[in-house]
Amino acid sequence: MKGKQWIVVGLVVLLVWGCVIGVSAAEKKKLTFAWIPKALNNPVFELGRDGAFAKAKELSETTDYIVEVLYVGSVASDAAEQVRVVEDVIARGVDGIGISCNDPDALVDVINKAVDAGIPVMTWDADAPQSKRFTYLGVSNYDGGKAAAELLIRYMGEKGKVALLTGVPGAFNLEERIRGFKDVIKNYPEIEIVTTVACYDDINLGVQVVEETMQAYPDLTGWFFVGLWPLFAERGSMPLWEEAAKSGRVKTVAFDTLPVELEYLKEGLLVGLVGQKYWGWGYDTIQMLFDYVVNKKEFPYWTDSGMDIVTIHNVDAMIEAWEKKDFTKPLPPPFPEE
Amino acid sequence: MRYVEPGLVLRFARNQLAALLVILGGMVLLLSLLTSTFLTANNIFNVLRAFSWIAIASFGQSIVIIGGGIDLSAGSNMAFAGIITAMLLLAGYSVVFSILVGLLITLGIGLLNGLMVSKTKLPPFIATLGTMSIVRGFCYGMTQGWPVRNLPRSFMFLGQTDIWRVPLPAIIMIGLAVFCAILLEKTKLGYHVYAVGGNEYAASLVGINTGRVKTIAFTLSGLFAGIGGLLMTARLGVAAPTAAQGYELDIIAAAVIGGISLTGGEGSVWGALIGAAIMQILRNALVLMGFPAYWQPAAIGAVIIGAVMIDMYRKRKV
Repeated sequence: MKGKQWIVVGLVVLLVWGCVIGVSAAEKKKLTFAWIPKALNNPVFELGRDGAFAKAKELSETTDYIVEVLYVGSVASDAAEQVRVVEDVIARGVDGIGISCNDPDALVDVINKAVDAGIPVMTWDADAPQSKRFTYLGVSNYDGGKAAAELLIRYMGEKGKVALLTGVPGAFNLEERIRGFKDVIKNYPEIEIVTTVACYDDINLGVQVVEETMQAYPDLTGWFFVGLWPLFAERGSMPLWEEAAKSGRVKTVAFDTLPVELEYLKEGLLVGLVGQKYWGWGYDTIQMLFDYVVNKKEFPYWTDSGMDIVTIHNVDAMIEAWEKKDFTKPLPPPFPEE
Repeated sequence: MRYVEPGLVLRFARNQLAALLVILGGMVLLLSLLTSTFLTANNIFNVLRAFSWIAIASFGQSIVIIGGGIDLSAGSNMAFAGIITAMLLLAGYSVVFSILVGLLITLGIGLLNGLMVSKTKLPPFIATLGTMSIVRGFCYGMTQGWPVRNLPRSFMFLGQTDIWRVPLPAIIMIGLAVFCAILLEKTKLGYHVYAVGGNEYAASLVGINTGRVKTIAFTLSGLFAGIGGLLMTARLGVAAPTAAQGYELDIIAAAVIGGISLTGGEGSVWGALIGAAIMQILRNALVLMGFPAYWQPAAIGAVIIGAVMIDMYRKRKV
């Protein structure tokens, strides 16, 4: 009977396959780490996810463990929803959790619950300092804001009129950047911050308020985009800003180092970028979780992930890193002459 | 009793559109006195372009609201039309084909809303709340969270071209307003929309197919949100999955400020057009005057309430 023969062949194949799997599983122990961003709808987290997967692959190839990354999160930034996701992850059972917290307080309880259940937790990007997480990998947004102000002053000079574009007013990371920026500007009495406009993380609104501000303050000399919102829009959508930036009348410094911004910088429309190491959010977090679980490594309360400063001098290296999706090489200095 | 011809002032006050135009004119006058930058051709055309997509989406919304419904999925539809068209463009399809498919899909979502409301008798608020979330989920899922960029110039032409300095989206907006006004005021369908929104039971008694009227209204709302979304995408040159989030509230507010009653059966698309203009001029003014960003939502909320209260007071008075 033809049919029966096929069934026998199928069973044999299954058996052999099962043996192979069984042997390799016996050799290598599996580790699963949950990597939880604030939201699934923000592109910068995708880069962190790629970093996490890259590190997992690297560890699986070079160590005696098979490392898997469980990428889960709430669709939008929502602390309550994120608590639910962490509870699900605890119920499922993992070997470690790396999380960027939507709220420093709201996540404390559920993080402690995970730690009590024997799952080590570390935070990255956004901390829950009151919790039992073993470390926090992040940057000081305040220092980032200061770095942005120093970049702007270097290009714009020590006097002029500056406008700020922020996202959602009150967002902690954005407010910290603004505070750092203003603390530096304070030391330069001839620099005036004329206005702060908000775009509520909306590209369309961002484009509008930038253009409106360009009209309201024709003598503007500097911009600090606290995030990159309007820069997602294509050339031609902000004619007034583009014209002023191209002629060099207005110098713009922006946060983040995404490819769209690198294009603008290469064309000279932006003078400097300050960015977090998004890739490292995943790449370094998985390494740290691995070291903590396998090598019993101790970590300080706070681990500084550092900041990327991009100018015309090192923009090419950053573009290359994005193209290769490999951020393991350190960035050349932003001002090589020093 | 002798019939008294109403005086000019009274007749004027009774005319809703005229009252709205007075509010709008007052704002324009005030702003041109307060700032040197408001009444410049550049700024006026910027404002026109900026509110054109909200206004276009609010035309469709107006038809739904006049027919006694509400469409919460408008913002998501705006984003989705942009994403579908942008993805097709990047896949190498022609501009016309990509636009048609984008619009066809939001038209389909509108049709689905309409069928849910008319066939399964779901309350419009719930049906469109559901599609709002479903469509937004598709936006995120299909793009994996990344904005779709590098759209061809021939597509961005739609949003960035000026004809004798007037932005093309604004011209399209006026054209669509005329189309909707004719549809609502001069056709049997338009008459039926008012009848269904005014009193659905009575409308069904006189033989109007209320389900069909509602379905058409929601379908048009989907289509118009799609047109608005495409123009916005063409202007920005990017289709973001987060685009137009929360715009449904601006779209509904524009209609309500424009005198369209949320209980249905009343209002016109010209009102929605002026309502959208009032909202955008307000936003523009707050930036031009350097009003602190942190206080802006409060100012916008106060103006929405104020404008609707003036309208209600006027109605009661005359």
